[in-house]
Amino acid sequence: MRKAAGSWLTWTLPILTIGALLVAWQVATASGSISPTQFPTMTDTMEALAREVRTGRIWPAVGATMLGWAIGMVITIVLGLLVGTALAFSAFAQRSAAPVIEIFKAIPAIAILPIVILLAGSTLPMKVFLIFFAAFWPFVIQVIYGVRSMDPIVLDTARALGVRGVRRFLTVSIPSASPYLVTGMRIASAQALILSIVAELVGGAPGIGRNILLAQNTGVEAYPTMYAYIIVAGVLGVLLTGAFFLMEKKVMHWHESQRNIRDSNKAGAA
Amino acid sequence: MTRLTTSAVPTVLPSRSRSGVRRVLSALVPLWLPVLLIAAWWFASASSKSPFFPPLHDILVETWNQWVVFGAWANAVSSLRNLLLGYLVGTLIGIIGGSLLWRVRYLRVAANPLIYFLYVLPAPALLPAMIAIFGIGDVRQIALIALGSIWPTLLNTLDGMRGIDTVKFDTAKALRLGGWRTYWRLVLPGAAPQIAAGLRASLTIGIVLMVVSEMVAAQSGIGFFILQAQAEFAIKKMWTGILVLALLGTVLNYLFVFAERRALRWYYRSRALGSS
Repeated sequence: MRKAAGSWLTWTLPILTIGALLVAWQVATASGSISPTQFPTMTDTMEALAREVRTGRIWPAVGATMLGWAIGMVITIVLGLLVGTALAFSAFAQRSAAPVIEIFKAIPAIAILPIVILLAGSTLPMKVFLIFFAAFWPFVIQVIYGVRSMDPIVLDTARALGVRGVRRFLTVSIPSASPYLVTGMRIASAQALILSIVAELVGGAPGIGRNILLAQNTGVEAYPTMYAYIIVAGVLGVLLTGAFFLMEKKVMHWHESQRNIRDSNKAGAA
Repeated sequence: MTRLTTSAVPTVLPSRSRSGVRRVLSALVPLWLPVLLIAAWWFASASSKSPFFPPLHDILVETWNQWVVFGAWANAVSSLRNLLLGYLVGTLIGIIGGSLLWRVRYLRVAANPLIYFLYVLPAPALLPAMIAIFGIGDVRQIALIALGSIWPTLLNTLDGMRGIDTVKFDTAKALRLGGWRTYWRLVLPGAAPQIAAGLRASLTIGIVLMVVSEMVAAQSGIGFFILQAQAEFAIKKMWTGILVLALLGTVLNYLFVFAERRALRWYYRSRALGSS
């Protein structure tokens, strides 16, 4: 890779694109080539965003979305680790459970949304259950891969040293499976955020999704607010996914799988 | 950007044994749990008086009545048509866009923030905006599904193409393969496994978007059918919709896996050879 030659471009080009896009948005909407009933101007949208932040109306919505995401993720991770590790240690259990996991993973979580709304209403438990149902299956699959990828020598050493039970789970299984776990968490987190927004849009639970729909229902004058909240949803996605990417890169640098990946990248680039 | 992640439960080969009985038993292992769960649902709900959980037997009868006799299958057809059109448009844009970004480095650097933003933006959040732009109708559904399914395919295409061994390009150059032939013979097949991973992720997103947009604003489709039934408090009817949707999701997923296995047979075979 010609790194030195284009290194300043890798910084300036993205900034230039964002700037150009924002200007193009403003020009297209302000000049009237796109009707304001379909798309508000950029300055109006930014104004609406600033207004929502200033009046503080934005924080309860972001808080509600994040709370559902966080609780759903914690339940997913704890149950996923327990179930996944248990399954990974027994070929019989894994072969038995595989079709069930595959089928549940293929069922779109929104399919069960109406029954969950009937049972729990437009509440936080409804949102959390949906998030869990969407995030659990992909995560548990990653856990199984992670635990199975464990070096058998490490396992034997742990056995010889008499490390077993909970201690083996915490000090041997989880660290050696961690690259898969973090990848699984990133996938689960994306699913959780999507279902969080869906639960708010369709199920009417408080949060960013409901504010987007409310603004759309209010009519054309609230469209800037709608796009402001869409931008907020995107920024949330950037922050959450970015955090898991960083975790994948920084925390796992010691792990064998990462060493191999970097070596093969080097070989590929050479 | 994205790492190839397998999305299926790892397969464990049954231990080989000579005796026929044991072989049959081991073939039955993947079946007993699903059968047990369905049986548990059947018997637990058989005498259920709860309005929310009608007996499974009643749900199945109602499914036959609603979807076959009363013609609700038209909803499934319109859902599937929108999904298919949107998915085709979206993934085609994804593959072409990914190839372009791979070829033109400055475009890649420049477009990176925008693509990343659209990729991580939870796609259902765009639904109200799509309603505002396209109104309520099939075009809006297709446009939303297409928009959502572009990004996983695009990023995986780009990633797969960037991961191809550079030695292969030197070989192609030495063989004097032209630009297009290199692309068709080397770049596309080389990136195919990861493109397939992207296509699968796009399909998942597409199904979610299909149902969400039908639930929020539509006059037909499975999502519309389910939510309509829920609004009428016709719980049994709603369950039939859930059942059909679950079945549809599962069948589409299995069809995809089947097609992927067929299309990438050469890849799995070469990998199996390499590991043995």
